[in-house]
Amino acid sequence: MTVRLAEDLWWVEECYDLGDAHRHVSVYVIREGDRYIMVDSGSFYHEEGIVEGVMEATGGDGVDAILLSHSDYPHSANVEKFRPEGREVELIASSGAPAAQGLSDATKCEIGGEMTVCGRRFSFVDPPLADRSHTTWIHDHGSGTLFAADGFGSHHQPGQCQMTSAEFEDNIPEAAIREFHREELVWLRYVDPAKLRAALEAIFEAFPPAYVAPIHGHPIAGDDLEEYLDRLIRAAGEITDDYQVPA
Amino acid sequence: MAVQRSDDSREIAPGVHWVQENGPDRSDFVAGGPLPEWYDPEQSLHIAQNAYVIDDERSLLFDTLSPASTDCVLEATDRLLDDGLDYVVVSHPDVPHAGNAPALLREYPEAELVAPRYGDTHELYHLEDALQVGAGDSLDLGEHTVAFHEATFPDASLHMWMTEEKTDTFFPVDWLGYPHMERESLLFADEFDAPLTVDRLVQFHGRVLFWFQYLDVPKLGREVDRLVEEFDPAMVAPAHGNPVREDTREFMSMTKATAERVDEQGRVGTLG
Repeated sequence: MTVRLAEDLWWVEECYDLGDAHRHVSVYVIREGDRYIMVDSGSFYHEEGIVEGVMEATGGDGVDAILLSHSDYPHSANVEKFRPEGREVELIASSGAPAAQGLSDATKCEIGGEMTVCGRRFSFVDPPLADRSHTTWIHDHGSGTLFAADGFGSHHQPGQCQMTSAEFEDNIPEAAIREFHREELVWLRYVDPAKLRAALEAIFEAFPPAYVAPIHGHPIAGDDLEEYLDRLIRAAGEITDDYQVPA
Repeated sequence: MAVQRSDDSREIAPGVHWVQENGPDRSDFVAGGPLPEWYDPEQSLHIAQNAYVIDDERSLLFDTLSPASTDCVLEATDRLLDDGLDYVVVSHPDVPHAGNAPALLREYPEAELVAPRYGDTHELYHLEDALQVGAGDSLDLGEHTVAFHEATFPDASLHMWMTEEKTDTFFPVDWLGYPHMERESLLFADEFDAPLTVDRLVQFHGRVLFWFQYLDVPKLGREVDRLVEEFDPAMVAPAHGNPVREDTREFMSMTKATAERVDEQGRVGTLG
């Protein structure tokens, strides 16, 4: 399912049924002139829906470049599906050892640096909430969107799959934020939430987002971000408090 | 103990073989500052990707090396195992750890894929049909028995550690890694010219366990103390560092000073 977030930005929403909740495993498409840039490539589990959604967003043209947040399979599994023979599709990834990640022909982006791709300017941000070491968050200067993996996700219920934060009655529920981060980023049980908040606020000061666009959650509108951040930090505090080192 | 060694593997205990993928030169990791005492500018610097083969009545491979080393791991299992491979165990589905599982299962179609039972997205990694194991589960290989454990410091929830009972070896996967110089390839840490130091561990943990920069440091320290008492192994065999067979308690405890250092100075970079 494709949700248009801005004139030049689409959310290709897919989610995985966890049984008691859904988890997004999405990708995003950006238009720059007549060229299209994809952020992440999704899971092979969702290949059909991702391909269909990207083709809908691009008017059947396909993409000209793929930016990867990291090479974890739910993010990178469909790369080759969008690089048909005869079409030059640049692959940009933050990995310092792309062959070891199965991405031998990737162009490296430097975390902390910026790059122009298909005429569009992107900054690559060191992510405080991630699983793999080489993960980058990606700030699109054109739309003011910060693409985030794996943090800033949330679980959701059937019927909420295509909702942005603005469509919830009261933003994204704190419990949904907490349960996602508790399950996905286990190491949060050892963090000091104040340190985490400081790191996140520094990013939002440097790159004030119109949207935070997570791979594993609902897009968070800029106006809803402060409240989301409050909930996230409270959730991190609960995750920390709930885990006591066994005696 | 007789030690057998080939170009990319070494028998580190009877029936337990270490297969090492050095990967690219990481000399840039120490550039721009004072060179550490353990660093040799004449040599390349590596952070290993290790796999471990246990050869017994039933054989097991723990982790698969990266897709850059498909031939290496297939040649190693072919060379080390006379009767094929029975278990392909992936500690977690990170590409450099699990990326050769499909090739191995094609080469050994009778082998059983073994994966962590933790996490809830196995289908997103083609692990839904694997034998899913965790704390309390073990595999009897003959003289060797491996046991599985929920990883205390995982990158993501779908992740596990392993121990082997006969050799009292602890396989902590992404914990307790550190870089090595080219000449230190396939050496135990006690065979290095210089002893392991905290700054070596910082070079790994400050990249991979980057969340050390946001730590509740005392809580992490209590957890490390608990793990030292729980495992207290004769040998530590990490996925990203050379095995350690002396002073293993002290080695594991070095995590505390490592964490303090990363908490103070922030992450030192990335890996992967």
